[in-house]
Amino acid sequence: MRLELDAVSKRYGSTTALDSVSLSVDDGEFFTLVGPSGCGKTTTLRCIAGFESPTEGTVRFDGESMVGVAPESRGVGVVFQNYALFPHLSVGENVAYGLRFTDPPGGGSRDERVAELLDLVDLAGFEDRDPDSLSGGQQQRVALARALAPGPDLLLLDEPMSALDARLRDRLRRQVKRIQSDLGVTTVYVTHDQSEALAVSDRVAVLNGGRVEQVGQPRELYRRPRTRFVAEFLGENNVLDGVVESRPETGGIRVGVGDAVFTLAEGRRVLGEAGSRAGAGDELTFCVRPEQLRVGAGTNKIRGTVVDTEFQGATTRVRLDWGGTELVVAVEDGGEQSDAGFEVGTTLEVGFAPASAHVVE
Amino acid sequence: MSRASASVRRVARALEQRLLTLVAALTAVVLLVLFYYPVATVFADAVLVDGRLTIEPIAAVLTSEFYLVDIIWFTAKQAFYSTLASLALGLPAAWLFARFEFRGRETLRSLTILPFVMPSIMVAIGFVATFGRNGTLNRALSLVGLPPVELLFTLEAIVVAHAFYNAPLVARVVTAAWESVDARTVETARSLGANPRRAFRDVVLPQLLPSIGVGATLTFIFTFASFPIVLALGGFQLATIEVFVYSRVRDLAYAEAASLAVVETAVSITLTAVYLRYEAGQRSAGGAANPLPRRSVLPADWTPKSALRTVGIAGYALVVGLVFVVPVASMVLASVTGGDGGLTLANYAFLAERQATGASFQVKPLPAILNSLGFAAGTLVVAVPMGVTMAVLTTRRYRGRGLIDVLSMAPFAVSGIVVGLGLLRGLVFGVDVLGTRIRVTGAIAIVAAHAVGAYPFVTRNVAPLFARLDGRLVESARSLGATRTRALVDIELPLVWTGVVAGAAFAVAISIGEFDSTIILAEGAGSYTMPVAVERFLGRRLGPATAMGCLLLLVTSASFLVVDRFGGRWGEL
Repeated sequence: MRLELDAVSKRYGSTTALDSVSLSVDDGEFFTLVGPSGCGKTTTLRCIAGFESPTEGTVRFDGESMVGVAPESRGVGVVFQNYALFPHLSVGENVAYGLRFTDPPGGGSRDERVAELLDLVDLAGFEDRDPDSLSGGQQQRVALARALAPGPDLLLLDEPMSALDARLRDRLRRQVKRIQSDLGVTTVYVTHDQSEALAVSDRVAVLNGGRVEQVGQPRELYRRPRTRFVAEFLGENNVLDGVVESRPETGGIRVGVGDAVFTLAEGRRVLGEAGSRAGAGDELTFCVRPEQLRVGAGTNKIRGTVVDTEFQGATTRVRLDWGGTELVVAVEDGGEQSDAGFEVGTTLEVGFAPASAHVVE
Repeated sequence: MSRASASVRRVARALEQRLLTLVAALTAVVLLVLFYYPVATVFADAVLVDGRLTIEPIAAVLTSEFYLVDIIWFTAKQAFYSTLASLALGLPAAWLFARFEFRGRETLRSLTILPFVMPSIMVAIGFVATFGRNGTLNRALSLVGLPPVELLFTLEAIVVAHAFYNAPLVARVVTAAWESVDARTVETARSLGANPRRAFRDVVLPQLLPSIGVGATLTFIFTFASFPIVLALGGFQLATIEVFVYSRVRDLAYAEAASLAVVETAVSITLTAVYLRYEAGQRSAGGAANPLPRRSVLPADWTPKSALRTVGIAGYALVVGLVFVVPVASMVLASVTGGDGGLTLANYAFLAERQATGASFQVKPLPAILNSLGFAAGTLVVAVPMGVTMAVLTTRRYRGRGLIDVLSMAPFAVSGIVVGLGLLRGLVFGVDVLGTRIRVTGAIAIVAAHAVGAYPFVTRNVAPLFARLDGRLVESARSLGATRTRALVDIELPLVWTGVVAGAAFAVAISIGEFDSTIILAEGAGSYTMPVAVERFLGRRLGPATAMGCLLLLVTSASFLVVDRFGGRWGEL
């Protein structure tokens, strides 16, 4: 089922929760809405499910407007953050609830469908269990099975992993993705965890303050963020504000940041819209990922003082003070020999290639 | 699927989606017809003299020294003392329930609901049997050689009887609040330097105050409008507003009665609003994840302090035993005591004889019992759906909800006598609507009066459970295909069922014990109930009245338990 949001706005009195949000989700796509708390992602989900009505704009399922259509008539499966399992019904009865209003898809009996779904989420034989007796991860899988049992055209998940510990989260995330792609059901996933968003989605929409900042595939968003917000929200980033010095004939841009001058490569990938149009004297903001700042390499050089290091296993996050600006460098772990070079107070020279930067608006 | 059945499905679905609105509208209409209209006709007498609007009758009441001092002031005074006594008797019990462990704690805790659902006339009889000239108190005194005391028709007797009723209520409400105090807040205060007394004052007490406010306000409201207890224990010498309204009604002085009722209602409504405010301030009584620890009632090691405390607790237990057991025991004892003071079944024999050979205008026990049960069943059918609807409506957020809250609790604040009178004159005597006279039988009016008095208790039992329900449960059900009504039936009702059952048991007990309205409406010997029968017998000798009172106690307890059990089992299906 193809989902479209057509300039959807939602206002509560004087507060605007959604400001003209337009999105489209293709049939079978795993689409994620990501953003900080209060950005409007849950509101968007609720408008899609029909629990809220947009103040302006239209939600369309396969081109049909959903204005005035009650939630129970939309064919949408929802999994909430706290799972909302019916405490007075058994696991099997929970999963079977939606089948009271529609026939099990694909023929077959209700019991068969329940068993099929519990098997799908690796909870075979749990029909008679009491929801309260299950662990968080098990409850979440029951909630998923319940939402999928009636064979919905659209699956909505509202931060389903936030109540689980990190290990479990990773495992369940992969399981949900696998189930989704096996069934081919259009899915909208809401989360505040940007790493989760990048890991499982076909496409991601970054929301901020009720507006869509950028939509695209995870790699594209990570490598070519369009705005400062997206650059800083998805992973760590070094965002530098500068002024364009000149545009040499050989191509590229020379940007002055403080006392230093950096060269950025020519081309859309690096310069984007804003960079391509910029002329001498214009302000320009660009970002460089921590992993693109190489120690002792790269033509654009930076010398800074180490103020902090954070050992994270495979990489170490080194924070540098560069003339008042804090930069983050991601260094691959090189074993005990390399520890000495990054003590607090050491002077460190890092650099980045002209093609490793990205201009943001 | 055929076209016809598809459109039937669609219509049914549309109806289902609007069902809640329909039921709400129906409830509003029922309330209007059975409560607001009758009450308005009575209040009209306070402001309409010979067809013109005037405040003369009310002004006359408010400027009369007799009314102001002897009646209104006395009513407030006895209510105040009763509230103090109820707090004094109830708060220690809350302390014991919340902070101590002892055998039978849970059972005693459940029993605290009983005094409140006992018919007030039965409580009155019990205290008459205790404090009367030949009552158990005087008998006990004579056994030890002390002279008899005249405690009947005194303020003290009224206050003690009121404490019987309301102290358990205070204990329940405050215990629930105490148990929802998070122990970690107290531990934090201690770690920051507060000693135990300080920690209690700064951390625990503020969390208990709303519940104490609820208990005190409710007690004041109930005792302010108290009727049978004051009637039996005070006579007409110590009259409260309600008793006087009754006497004025009996003398057909409707303007005066109405004016008094207006003043009384003004006070009660104000206090009801205060009560609702306190209730809102209470944290939902779900029990804290970390309640304060409980220790054994018998101290582990005997220090002077712990010994003193144990003696205090024992003394308190004795007082409680006396206050709660003695009246009931006295009533039972009096029912098997003959005029000569010896044990006899003559009183019950009298009842049986009256049943067999009594004249049609005389009060007979069997019709009284059957009527009481019949009216209780009717009350159940009307009050439970109304109460549940109100609970659903008052837990949703929407404009004007505060007003709906007060309007739905209005029956709480209005005198039962006024309701009875209004129903009598408004509906039983009939009202002309567009040329036709609309009349309602006395029996229906009685069920109406009972239902109106009972449904606020259903609401108050169900609403907190609704409020605690996770909204996501209904949304999950709807996303799976259930209409709003279906979600209510499949998901919400089963989860609030315990509240519905408790409310239903309340409604039955309140109906069986209802006195104020019934005594007005039960004209003639036809539709009287057990409480009315008790009062009628009271005039003559104590014996038959106490025998009837024992029957009343039996029937009330049995009905309460049956509804509780039956409802509970049905809920598990």
